[in-house]
Amino acid sequence: MNKFALSALSLAVLTSFVSALSLGVIAIELSDIWQALLSYDATNLEQKIIIELRLPRAILAFLAGGGLAMAGLILQTVTRNPLADPYLFGVSSGASFGVVLLFAFTGVQAGLVLSGAAFAGSLLAMSALLLIAKAQLNNQVESMLLAGVALSFLFSACTSLLLYWSDPQAITAIVFWTLGSFSRADWQTLWLPAIVVCLSVGCMLLFRRTLNAMLLGDESATTLGVNVTKLRLGMLLLSSLLTAVLVAMCGGVGFVGLMIPHIVRFFVSQASTAGLLITALSGGLFMLWVDIVARTVLENQELPVGVITAAIGSVFFLTLLVLRKRTTASI
Amino acid sequence: MNQSVHATCSMLDVQQVGLQINQSNILKDVSFSIKAGQFVGLLGPNGAGKSSLLRCIYRFIKPTYGQIQLLNAPIERYSRPEYAKQVAVVLQDVPEQFNLGVFDVVAMGVTPHKPLFSSINHKDKDDIAMALEKVGLSHKSNQMFSSLSGGEKQRVMIARAMVQQPQLLIMDEPTSHLDVKYQIQIMELAKSLGVSVLASFHDLNLAAAVSDHLLVLQNGELKAQGAPLQVLTSELLSDVFGVCAQVTQVPNAHSEQTLVPHIRYHYGYIQ
Repeated sequence: MNKFALSALSLAVLTSFVSALSLGVIAIELSDIWQALLSYDATNLEQKIIIELRLPRAILAFLAGGGLAMAGLILQTVTRNPLADPYLFGVSSGASFGVVLLFAFTGVQAGLVLSGAAFAGSLLAMSALLLIAKAQLNNQVESMLLAGVALSFLFSACTSLLLYWSDPQAITAIVFWTLGSFSRADWQTLWLPAIVVCLSVGCMLLFRRTLNAMLLGDESATTLGVNVTKLRLGMLLLSSLLTAVLVAMCGGVGFVGLMIPHIVRFFVSQASTAGLLITALSGGLFMLWVDIVARTVLENQELPVGVITAAIGSVFFLTLLVLRKRTTASI
Repeated sequence: MNQSVHATCSMLDVQQVGLQINQSNILKDVSFSIKAGQFVGLLGPNGAGKSSLLRCIYRFIKPTYGQIQLLNAPIERYSRPEYAKQVAVVLQDVPEQFNLGVFDVVAMGVTPHKPLFSSINHKDKDDIAMALEKVGLSHKSNQMFSSLSGGEKQRVMIARAMVQQPQLLIMDEPTSHLDVKYQIQIMELAKSLGVSVLASFHDLNLAAAVSDHLLVLQNGELKAQGAPLQVLTSELLSDVFGVCAQVTQVPNAHSEQTLVPHIRYHYGYIQ
């Protein structure tokens, strides 16, 4: 059953990649895509669009979707809170703050420094979160969520303050970036998210058994020989790194980390290896299509990706609420 | 009974253990030992320190003073996985915000036995299937853990402990909100494993019926210990638990010769 789901998903990802290459302002024939992939001719405009623009962009969208879904899954597992998400925990806002701070003072718009600033910001948010939650160990999960929301607002406020002081040109660039987009994808910068996302999936696979042991509580995990404190800290670091790198590249793309693991968990046991891979693939698949919609739905104009994911996310949340109410009413 | 064969071998030695949290004494000078194959029941009113004592033994908290030895070696000397291979724990209840398959929960039991890279092999799968069969839940292996009843969940947790292949099984009130049928079933399952068991109980009659040895805690101190017949007296019941009760001796369900205490409570405290 899980193997079937995995192969079906892989096939869907493959066809979606082809669709992502073919769909856009200029529709490109399948044969041209094939040609561009086999023997690239830089003088051909259509082939150039595929290789230089659409392919890195599709790869970045896929990595971002899979990576954010993983970041959400990690947070949900180690905090045992199905509602955990890099956005709700303030990790993303921290990363955004780091990026905007660097941007406002130095004007740097891309590169490793930006990812570094994002990582510093997300680490700041994560450490603050851990410090607050540690003071109230008894109801760690609830206090973590509340502290996360508070931190998220705090960092957003700081970011807005920075924007208020920046010059109008910088503001336009920053605002466009915070709405989320994959338009900055190119072959020179793609390696960093690729490495970090692959590293995270590898770590999750490596530690899957000990991570799963945490799902039934810290006490239960301890009795299975797991060093809970160390594992949680390491995994929180990993999810901060993942979020930071993706936020630095793509800006604010929310709700994916919450939504995708939630949907997958509905069908597949959380503790299975297949569930992990299905989550990553579904996240990537979802984001590929969000980006296709963002590029094609308006003529001559691109819709910010973050707007689409936030819209889908809020509908998802409301549906969840209604469904929950209905099930409790029937009992 | 093969218990007498190993009776000289000591499984667990708790020596003068004390625990202080925020200057208040949770445990004071607790000492006892468990022999291999023995079933030991831990009794005491709410807040007596039963869970704290068990937590010290399964290394979730560190005692303030005193020493605990497992198989004649101090428990701090074991690495985390090594200790988990010797001691398995079934807790009162487990959080379950997540969708977990029954098979996956039982499979968690192999965690201390497996290095990071390895995956579950045929032998592990057989062990898991056998454990599920023993607790009578083979048919629910593919179901979700959250869809099970309270009794079934605890049986799954016992199956997980079986896969862990411990020498000592610790249970912290594993039956407290279960139906009578499951209370008896869970305890008899634990007894049938043939390993040493240390379990805390709420139901005194159940404890008397299944335990070889009883420990009674009151305000963090060990008030009494010994065979059920010696420990459960009407004096102790009024002293420790604050109830008026009459203790009679009834034959054990399995052998007519062995007598176990049976408690009959008196009612009418509020006139």
